[in-house]
Amino acid sequence: MTAGLCAGGFDWNLPPGFPRPPIPADNPMSAAKVDLGRFLFYDKRMSVSGQESCGSCHRQELAFTDGRAHAEGATGQLHPRSALSLVNVAYAPSLTWANPRLTSLEEQMLVPMLGEDPVELGLKGHESEFLKSLRAGPAYQKLFPQAFPDEHDLYTLSNVAKAIAAFERSIVSVRSPYDRYRWGGDSSAISDAAKRGEIIFSSSERGGCFQCHGGWNFSGAIRFAGSSADQQRGGFFNTGVSAYTAPNRGLFELTHKPEDIGKFRVPTLRNIAVTAPYMHDGSLRTLEEVIDHYAAGGRMDDPNKTRILHPFRLTDSDRRDLVEFLKSLTDEQLLHDPRWSDPWR
Amino acid sequence: MYTRRFLALGLLAAAVVWAQDAQLSIQVSGDVKQPLTLTADDLAKMPRAMVRTMNNGMETVYEGVWLHEVLKRAGVPQGSELRGKALAGYLLAEAQDGYQVVFSLAELDPAFIDNEILLADTANGKPLFGAQGRFRLVVPKDKPGARSVRMLTRIDVVQLRK
Ligand code: HEC
Ligand code: HEC
Repeated sequence: MTAGLCAGGFDWNLPPGFPRPPIPADNPMSAAKVDLGRFLFYDKRMSVSGQESCGSCHRQELAFTDGRAHAEGATGQLHPRSALSLVNVAYAPSLTWANPRLTSLEEQMLVPMLGEDPVELGLKGHESEFLKSLRAGPAYQKLFPQAFPDEHDLYTLSNVAKAIAAFERSIVSVRSPYDRYRWGGDSSAISDAAKRGEIIFSSSERGGCFQCHGGWNFSGAIRFAGSSADQQRGGFFNTGVSAYTAPNRGLFELTHKPEDIGKFRVPTLRNIAVTAPYMHDGSLRTLEEVIDHYAAGGRMDDPNKTRILHPFRLTDSDRRDLVEFLKSLTDEQLLHDPRWSDPWR
Repeated sequence: MYTRRFLALGLLAAAVVWAQDAQLSIQVSGDVKQPLTLTADDLAKMPRAMVRTMNNGMETVYEGVWLHEVLKRAGVPQGSELRGKALAGYLLAEAQDGYQVVFSLAELDPAFIDNEILLADTANGKPLFGAQGRFRLVVPKDKPGARSVRMLTRIDVVQLRK
């Protein structure tokens, strides 16, 4: 409940009005920890091949996605799903495409690190070698003690997880042209086409997008410093994206309830113009294809398909306007900001 | 100036009106003694009210006029007059895209219930714009936002029993 009060010395430099992300009490933020997390996030020692890191599938210039329909792991194995953006992930009440039980970034990272199905970084069984190599790294001999000043046993998986999670929580984007238009008082920050697109996005008679991609994060439920559990619930829908075969049956994979087949989380649309291809399976290549999918009321028929979706008519210029609006959600600065770039380059 | 702009818009095809600027006035019509066309200037001269909302941790302060003040001005029965057949009356709020929601007249009357339903024209001190429309409803006591109609253009009062 008071998680947000543990931000310590860290400053997100948010524009007025935006809430701070929640921070777990046992992993307070600090600039030193975020810095260590950045080195680890991009460290190729993180993979069994020595060629991959978190940053291989979560590339800054693509808003921390990988540009692929199916992520490729260190051993060449394809992931059944498309990599999610890490922008504003600190506000996500649950992580990955369809797992309401996975709520902690510290826990989530162990999946790509150690997971065997699919293999992402493939470190399982190589943990102690990996930690030994960190201990031997000159950069880390400074970074670890600064990040965890009161600890003796510095080079642990738990500290690696905490530092990477802190780095992820620092990746906050609320400074797109649309933000300047909507909340910053700059009426010329976006084009007239984008302004018309905003209206289509916000009309339940037409696009209706805002009904699921809602609020300032254009996502399903969010959590923030001081939010109640109630505000964090919900936000999984079957939107008729695919035929939903294993292992891509959404919430069903966890609950085994037939009514959960095809239900996926509503991801944020921030920076969406740079995160193609789209959807959990990367099956839609462009924003135009996404819009056509919705205009058809969800392209596949499915008994679980949400009744919120309904076919609607769009002219070619309406479609262009909606795309312009979506493009106005790109925070160019974030894509190149040195704070989140690869320190090993 | 507002009225001229509005007339000019009215002459264009409906599709263009839809896609361009928000309409600059609200029609109050139907079973009312006094139909009204209200602009922001008109609302500025009426008793002002304020509502605070929280959306995903972001606070917004809306200002405008209580909806019941608008109904009073249109001569809709209120308080001790809102009884008998008049209680089968409702208000239909319509947005520029055709979206509609309903409130019963009793649900809008402070003599019946302490509700707070605002016809808003500013947010955080600035005139509403873009997808909010020039006017919107704000219904802070509703749990979902679905009746907080944005781009409000028309308020129609309907008496089911005459
Ligand atoms: C092989 C490519 C790959 C690598 C390497 C990888 N990820 Fe991912 N990441 C993905 C994919 C694919 C998903 C979506 C997973 C799913 O839904 O099951 C994902 C999802 C996530 C999410 C959830 C985001 C959200 O919005 O819910 C986080 C957080 C994340 N990864 C962090 C990391 C970290 C930290 C590392 C390094 C330890 C890492 N990833 C390494 C591919 C990768
Ligand atoms: C009923 C809720 C709902 C509505 C309405 C909705 N979406 Fe979605 N959206 C989702 C869900 C759920 C997903 C993930 C679906 C999946 O991968 O199977 C999604 C995914 C997306 C994605 C891909 C995101 C990514 O990271 O790959 C885009 C782009 C998108 N939606 C845009 C829109 C637009 C534009 C509209 C309006 C025309 C809209 N959405 C309306 C629920 C909705």
